[in-house]
Amino acid sequence: MMGVISDAGKVVIFFFRILGVWKRKSISSQLMFEQIWKVTMQSALTTGMAGFFVGAIMTIQFTMQMKDFGALGYLGGLATSTTIREVGPLLIAFMLAGKVGAFTSAELGTMRVTEQIDAIRCLGADPIQELVLPRFIAIVISSFFLLGLGLLLSIFGGILLGEVFSGVSFEEYLRHIPTIVSLPSILTGLFKCFIFAVVLAVICTYRGYTTTGGAKGVGLAVVKTAVGTMVTIVIADWVTSLLADITLRAVLGT
Amino acid sequence: MALAAINLSEVSISFEGNTVLHNVSLNVTEGESVAIIGPSGQGKSILLKLMAGLVPPTKGKVLVRGENLFEISGARRQKLINKIGMLFQKNALFDSLTCGENIAFPLREVTELSEKEIQKISEEFLAAVGIGHAKNLYPDEISGGMQKRLGIARALALHPELIFYDDPTAGLDPITSRKIIDLILHLKSKNTSTLIAVTNDMNRAYQLADRIWMVVDQQVIDAGTVEQTKQHKDPRIRQFISGEINGPLTSMAGGE
Repeated sequence: MMGVISDAGKVVIFFFRILGVWKRKSISSQLMFEQIWKVTMQSALTTGMAGFFVGAIMTIQFTMQMKDFGALGYLGGLATSTTIREVGPLLIAFMLAGKVGAFTSAELGTMRVTEQIDAIRCLGADPIQELVLPRFIAIVISSFFLLGLGLLLSIFGGILLGEVFSGVSFEEYLRHIPTIVSLPSILTGLFKCFIFAVVLAVICTYRGYTTTGGAKGVGLAVVKTAVGTMVTIVIADWVTSLLADITLRAVLGT
Repeated sequence: MALAAINLSEVSISFEGNTVLHNVSLNVTEGESVAIIGPSGQGKSILLKLMAGLVPPTKGKVLVRGENLFEISGARRQKLINKIGMLFQKNALFDSLTCGENIAFPLREVTELSEKEIQKISEEFLAAVGIGHAKNLYPDEISGGMQKRLGIARALALHPELIFYDDPTAGLDPITSRKIIDLILHLKSKNTSTLIAVTNDMNRAYQLADRIWMVVDQQVIDAGTVEQTKQHKDPRIRQFISGEINGPLTSMAGGE
């Protein structure tokens, strides 16, 4: 237990170290855009597919529950609301943890064990500024965008399965979305996407940057990234859901 | 009295409870060449990284040109770091950059030179180490000996006054090893810098060093000049030089 708390503390310190470097030093925009492009292109297809099927799965599940009550007319609104607020961000973030997170921690970990990070320090540069910061910003921006893309495609997945599996027409599916999917739902979903993106970026860069022990160490860093990111995302999901609920009650007075 | 380039005062290093170096005190004079020898796993590379400011000591002081590398920060530390060059054991070349870009990297980071000047200096350094034709190739497209030369060129790009070489001839054939040491000595004679190199090859150590240290049993033994080292009475140094299987170093390693 103490090990987990100590690890969490180190990740938080690392996060503030990244922010400190960001505040003090300039960052190469070319390097950052290269990273954003790389991360987005690497994961756009798989994230899109994951989003599409999450929407499809939610539609199937809701159909099975709702058809007995004759409430299939609300299928579009309920399936979309649940996907955007909860299931979509969570599952797509899990997939990104396996893809972007594993890749980044392996890349930085390899640079660490081949002494490239030490070499950067010896050559008068700051490895946090040169390697970690561009990747951190790129992962946050790209993951937020990819999560958004995934959620958008989840609606298409829902529409398609609504038509094919549930017999709910395209128009009918869409008709109830605005009544059930409120602006707060969308904002909650987007807020979660942002938090998950930050969690993913900080954990994978930390694990890669602090890798020790050669090839085995790189493998271990990748595993720790995947496990650590998923567990933290679930906890962050609970915290953000709670915060969103409290905030919305306070703002809307409900 | 000659100025101390490096001064270690009662330095100890431990990792997760394992002591690598214990109460080590040493001096390196400006312009001197020191070779560090010793059995594998005794902490030679750690000692080198300690002096280069990459690994902090658990206890004691590391003074580089009179300044404690681990107590200063900001521009003062950066200024000191810029005087240090290092060739890593496995070269640590940036595999996503070409050979030319590897040399240009520190110049872009540290100097205010124009891109044209940086390109010119990169080409000059590549030519100086004999790989001028490899400017646009990536490190994994060139041989081990060429990678070593590239590593040396990159380490020297900022004209450091203190240069650390971590096993510069590791994995190279004897002829290429000889060429690399000749190149290091040639570049040192031009730069008049202080040089500290880890090596397990005694012939290269004799060729390279004014003074030889041996890292063994958490201590660093100053074996003196090349001639003094050859005549040294310490049985551990004698065994290491002769390469005998039986001796104190073998029993220390558990009779392997």
